[in-house]
Amino acid sequence: MIPLRALIRKELAVLFTSPVAYLTLAMVGVVTALVFFDHLRVYNQTLFVWASTTMGGFETDTIPDYINLRTLVFLPVMEQLALMFIGLVPLVTMRVFSEERARGTDELLATTQLSPNQIVAGKFLVAYLFVAIMLAVSFVYPATSIVTAGLGLKHLVAVYVGLFTLGIGIASIGLVCSAWTTSQLVAAVSAYAVAFVVYDFSWATAFVRDRESLASLLDAISIHPRFGGFAEGLVIGADVAYFAALALVCFGLARVSLDLERVR
Amino acid sequence: MRELGLVGAIAIAAGVGSYYVTGEFGRFGQVNVALGGLALALYAVRALGRMRRLGGTPVARRMLTTRAALLVAVVAAAVALERGAARLDLRWDWTLDRRHELSPASRDALAALPDGLVATLYYDAEDPRIRGTRLLLESFATSGRVQVRERVLDDALEDLDRFGISSSNSVLLEVDDRWELVGRPSEGTVWEALERLRALERRTVVYYARGAGEGNLLRSDALGFSGLAAALQTEGYRVRDLVMAATDAIPQDAAALLAIAPERPWREESVALVDGYLAGGGGLVALLEPGRETGLEPLLERWGFETPDAVVVDPASGPIEGGAPGVNPLAHAYDRDHPITKPLDANRMAFFLGARPVRAARKPEPEDRLSVLVHSSPRAWLSRDFERIARGLPPQDRDGAPDDRHPLASAGRYPRGEREARVVVFGDSRFASNGHLRALFNLDLILNSVNWVAQRAEGRLTRRPNILTEIQQPLTPQESLRMFYGVGLLIPELLLMAAAIAWLRQRSA
Repeated sequence: MIPLRALIRKELAVLFTSPVAYLTLAMVGVVTALVFFDHLRVYNQTLFVWASTTMGGFETDTIPDYINLRTLVFLPVMEQLALMFIGLVPLVTMRVFSEERARGTDELLATTQLSPNQIVAGKFLVAYLFVAIMLAVSFVYPATSIVTAGLGLKHLVAVYVGLFTLGIGIASIGLVCSAWTTSQLVAAVSAYAVAFVVYDFSWATAFVRDRESLASLLDAISIHPRFGGFAEGLVIGADVAYFAALALVCFGLARVSLDLERVR
Repeated sequence: MRELGLVGAIAIAAGVGSYYVTGEFGRFGQVNVALGGLALALYAVRALGRMRRLGGTPVARRMLTTRAALLVAVVAAAVALERGAARLDLRWDWTLDRRHELSPASRDALAALPDGLVATLYYDAEDPRIRGTRLLLESFATSGRVQVRERVLDDALEDLDRFGISSSNSVLLEVDDRWELVGRPSEGTVWEALERLRALERRTVVYYARGAGEGNLLRSDALGFSGLAAALQTEGYRVRDLVMAATDAIPQDAAALLAIAPERPWREESVALVDGYLAGGGGLVALLEPGRETGLEPLLERWGFETPDAVVVDPASGPIEGGAPGVNPLAHAYDRDHPITKPLDANRMAFFLGARPVRAARKPEPEDRLSVLVHSSPRAWLSRDFERIARGLPPQDRDGAPDDRHPLASAGRYPRGEREARVVVFGDSRFASNGHLRALFNLDLILNSVNWVAQRAEGRLTRRPNILTEIQQPLTPQESLRMFYGVGLLIPELLLMAAAIAWLRQRSA
């Protein structure tokens, strides 16, 4: 365990001594804030128009049900946070394996007491930790207003469990892409491509509309529908298992890439 | 070769990205995905060839074979994990109002319908509301009584005409040759549609008395009782009025008679009619008001109830809607053994707006059974200070009796040969008016009472789906700005400073 801990500490040190991690976190903060406050502004304006005296006012119960914090602010912001992960997580994962390989330090790593499984596990854990930090930065905005507005802390936790598992899924894809190349650019671009394709297969349904089993298979392996339950405050065991399974497959692929490198 | 893979990946990303940007998978997207896929396929073929060359030695070949087998095993384990979890169907509803859990009423409604119920969601792919509706239908499907289907609106034009479907996010419920359309799906609206499907096969009539200023089930303002009428119709009752002064008998088809706080005392003939109706095994739900002589009091006394003209003042309840403190008691001390109040508990309170006590005092016959349905708190007392209460002031007079629990509603059942009369008496009527019917669990209390009096199966007496109230409160511009500067700008600013420091240190290292 001590060498694994040392590896995690080293990976964290590499991550946080470069400006990339901070810039990524700052972007998470800025984008979340802009998205959140923009939705909040539109919600407030819509609400005030409907609540104006000409429309009947708050007392007359004429404000449509869909004008509420949950539908107009919370859910769309969470959706966009999920999409933002695809844009930002590969920026962090792209260097994890490929940089070591490009510099040749992966051979040094192979000479330590760490087994290949531990090496991969250590790098995956650090990436997951970074996803958690990203979430902590974005957590502040919804939490400050939504909890006071009565949506409920547990619902918020459900959404963040969903975002974390989704972040793990995307980070795992990014790590696999990094493990199979020496170029950080290739790692990032291929991670974007895979993540965009797997994120939502609804673009493919036009071609398989008549083949229900294929359509449902595509639906089952899409990331986006798996996030829907969390956003609605419903934690579904199968969705958690899906992201765990995705991480497992990615772990296996990354592990095999290390072996192939040894064969080479 | 790597260039080929990279170009392929970029093309696929651009193609799929165009779908997210434009919302449609047009020619641009199709060409990009096709060419990108081709490039990646070529890259994969060449990569495989290279791997074959790598696996030239027996050791390398053995390693590659083992790793390929390991990979297959990992994928199989991942699929098994996901499928296993899906089969277990574990769900945790973490919403504040438990909006994904089916209420007992919905489960009962599903159980009461014949097999073969089909729920079809008609939707437009762009409609964001369908996610919530899918989750709702999934929760209904977990009962095992509903088969859920989905149809895109454009593919179901015939159904649109046939069932009058006018918008996306509509749910059609079909069983046998009956169907109901739900336009704005929520658990409450789906449950109501299920009840309407049931109601087609079991219509019974509830009469409400008129002619002496009773509460009006046609009146739709806050003081009216049209909400109660609608709820009774949803439960499968036909609701009809009965002018007591102009009738010579309670109709044979009456499942129950509602008498809602007459403003003028009933004539003795009317009271005698109700007496005879009860003696023949009828059902009465009487809602009284303090300070009002209804003419029903002697009748109720004959059936075992005492209803002294006073107001129950319960200091455990604060002022509600500007009323005097304590005169609008929040009630949660239910009789947990009585079918009417069995589904209610301390977390499912009802509240009354000025209630007179209704005591279950004396059984007319030994085999009769009288019960107090709901009590005030033990700190309550009785007041006749109607004048101060009407002005919203705390009542001052006490009748000298010590603090005690006072009954706010009582019920009685009276077996008479093969028939059984049933009576429920409330000391208040306004708790069931439009203004307060949907507050707390008032609706459950009154509907359970009517169902019990009408001798519906007792399993039907249960809680109804919650009516969800969305949060519609604004954040003022000042609050929004304060949050924006406080967290929206401050946190990114600190992180950018950290990035700058890290960059400078990296350069100087």
